[in-house]
Amino acid sequence: MTYNVNGKTYSIDCDPDMPLLWAIRDVVGLTGTKYGCGIEICRACTVWIDGSPEKSCEKKAREGVGVRITTVEGLANDPVGQKLQQAFIDVQAPQCGYCQSGMLMVATKLVRSKPKPTDADIDAAIGNICACGTYPRVRQAIKKATGQ
Amino acid sequence: MTDTATHPDDHAISRRAVLGGGLGVLATFVLHPNRAGAAPGRATSASGATSAAALGAAATGGTVSGWVRVNADNTVTIAFGGAEMGQGIMTGLAQGVAEELMVDWSQVRTEAAPPAQSYVTGGSFGVRRNLGAMRLAGAQALDVLRRAAAAKWKVDPASLTVKRGVFTNPATGAKLKFSQVAAAASALTPAASPPLTPQSAFRILGKTAKRVDLPSKVDGSATFGIDVRVPDMVYAAIKHCPTIGGSLAATPAVPAGAIAVVPLANAVAVVADTTWAAFKAANALSVSWSIPSAASKVSSASMLATQQALMASGTAGSPVAEQVGDAVGAYGSSAQQLEATYQVPYLPHVCMEVLNCTAHVTADSAEVWVPTQAPAWVVGTVQTVTGLPASAITVHPTLLGGGLGRKIEQDYVLQAVTVAKAVGRPVKLTWQREEDMGHDQYRPSGLVRVRLGLGGNKKVAAYQSRIVTPSPLAQRGWIGPTGNDNVDGAVELPYTFGSRLVEYVRDPATIPVGFWRSVGESINCFAVESAMDEAAALASKDPLTFRRMHLPAGTRARKVLDTAAAQIGWTTAPPAGRARGIALATGFGSLAAMIVEISQPTAGTMAVHRVACAVDVGFAVNPGQVVSQLEGGIIQGISSAQWGRTTFSSGRASSRNFSNTRLLKMRETPVITVKVIQSGMENLGGIGEVGVPPMAPALANAWAALTGTRLRTLPLFPSAGGMGD
Repeated sequence: MTYNVNGKTYSIDCDPDMPLLWAIRDVVGLTGTKYGCGIEICRACTVWIDGSPEKSCEKKAREGVGVRITTVEGLANDPVGQKLQQAFIDVQAPQCGYCQSGMLMVATKLVRSKPKPTDADIDAAIGNICACGTYPRVRQAIKKATGQ
Repeated sequence: MTDTATHPDDHAISRRAVLGGGLGVLATFVLHPNRAGAAPGRATSASGATSAAALGAAATGGTVSGWVRVNADNTVTIAFGGAEMGQGIMTGLAQGVAEELMVDWSQVRTEAAPPAQSYVTGGSFGVRRNLGAMRLAGAQALDVLRRAAAAKWKVDPASLTVKRGVFTNPATGAKLKFSQVAAAASALTPAASPPLTPQSAFRILGKTAKRVDLPSKVDGSATFGIDVRVPDMVYAAIKHCPTIGGSLAATPAVPAGAIAVVPLANAVAVVADTTWAAFKAANALSVSWSIPSAASKVSSASMLATQQALMASGTAGSPVAEQVGDAVGAYGSSAQQLEATYQVPYLPHVCMEVLNCTAHVTADSAEVWVPTQAPAWVVGTVQTVTGLPASAITVHPTLLGGGLGRKIEQDYVLQAVTVAKAVGRPVKLTWQREEDMGHDQYRPSGLVRVRLGLGGNKKVAAYQSRIVTPSPLAQRGWIGPTGNDNVDGAVELPYTFGSRLVEYVRDPATIPVGFWRSVGESINCFAVESAMDEAAALASKDPLTFRRMHLPAGTRARKVLDTAAAQIGWTTAPPAGRARGIALATGFGSLAAMIVEISQPTAGTMAVHRVACAVDVGFAVNPGQVVSQLEGGIIQGISSAQWGRTTFSSGRASSRNFSNTRLLKMRETPVITVKVIQSGMENLGGIGEVGVPPMAPALANAWAALTGTRLRTLPLFPSAGGMGD
């Protein structure tokens, strides 16, 4: 199988039924995308497929073929992503940091589609689970990155 | 206990150890221990090995060591021996060194210290216990650097000025960077007690320093334990006996798609060439377990009945945890009496990063990469499995994707090392989420019966608390058969009660219990602060007023309550349809008052709109980080109060995944304001835990105010405890 991840081409040899999450982490070797639940609830595994946020833990490895995959490692290539990364640092949003990759992938997509997201937009978009409780600062980071 | 590795003459040993690293010009120092304070039962030996006896001893001091290294580019690398799990300890301790070393924050780098110089991170002790030692290390480093520079110029060391890691000779204007004198400095013995910077001159301590670990946490480059990759590595999954207390009856054959099956006491590990292949093979594997009949009969209902019987029968030999005056007599003769029994459940930790450990064991060495709160204990665990000397064992502590007390434990380390030894290759063991929640070492369940007797003046003349819980300390053999456990939050309350009696009754339940963020406080604060509201109602007093009646003017506790009340406007009625609840927590060296404002959007559900928090931490090393930790504690406290629990049926834990273990989400998160009070450096307190315990009673108190219904059992809304996609 051939993958396009963050603009680079990878030749992948794995079970096509393997979850895309584990293909990215163990086979491609990009570990910024996280395992949290394996059942599409926590969203730590969020990547972009053709620019759209998708939970990778129940997608199959074969679904990664013929599409553009973007992981947190490629987020800085996106101007909005880069802005959000900086805003997350500026407001000191991450605590343990484990869920923040997924949080950033979702937040960046939100801001790309809504350049000035309201609180309600943020509430609706960010369904990610963060056990540390970084939500107030993630909200603050999104506002800061969008000049609000 | 032992706290060697901290003798004054250890300087030379450690200098050699680090100079041997050959990383350019190095100056290194062992930090002196900070002998003040104690963490119960946490001690490490000089070798980094940890024996059961050492762990069991009631430690009287923590061993802290670390290094300062001056790099060729005149940056400094500060080693730290704690566990960075999101609380910012890596930054807070480095601030202490940088302050005294007279470098700018931008010059600071950090790295993990070896296990022998590490310490267990828990009890909110990380910064408050070790800051003094870290400051001393910085001052000692500056002392030898200064003397080395002065020797080059043949001037009095005291005449030099220093800024941004550069000495200036005022007589000539000549400059020397730390990096230019570090080699000479490393040959000098530092002064035992060089002067420390007075608080009035702090440049870095007390200021919000940007956390050193955050850039790596937004670009995917941070290495948590689960991200470790080493050459030739294989992957293992764990499958525990689903019944707690059961054991492996027979080792299954290696299934298709797997490399090996390794028998473990209460589990099997399945090894494969990817994580998912290991998960898949483990899930499909049919395993024969040996399950004692008593284990298969364990249920929440039967355990509750046992606790109720123990509550009725009393202490069974344990000494009273606190006794002041005659609380029994005073209660009997009091004008008004409140008796209420509060119930708390077993709670899973739910770190976002599941338990994992990577290990490589050869005939004469072992190497472990692991997210751990106790690196030195890992060395002991490896020795248990391998018999290797500590000198042959290398531990790489990684960042932790949450710790919460769960990553103090050694179960997952023991498994990984055992598997690595069996397969002879590096192995990364990863627990699936279902194993992580289903085989936790849970916050103990418990019953707490509080009696408050009010005198004619409406003040508490008698306070009694009887606590029935299983004991994490006893399960580890750290206390004897009559030792007390889980009394924090019930004893040493700040209130001026006329008399006090606190008793602990040990529940012999076999559910594995451990240390959950805020430990005993998470149990007792709910009981005591709920009872205070119930007693206030009995006395026809406002809940804030009633508490203030028992807190003299000028006390820290009264000030945090008043500060929280002022923030939310306690004396002004909340908006229609909302009610407020208040609670106070003292512990971990800090005090926190919380006021919540809630509504009931639909029958039997709670929405939390606002939380006003005031916290007295004595001195805020990194004020922004204090606020972050309180925000996080508040959010975890709301989740666990509303929904958190693990129940047991036929010996099996109910918690499996987020489908039945609910955490607060963005849209449910209230507006939180945190006011940090700094009552003085002498009161330096912990911040990791104190935000959690007051949330449950504050919410229960608000619910009673809103609905008239008093909820005395946690979680408050057990039937709402699941999440969907």
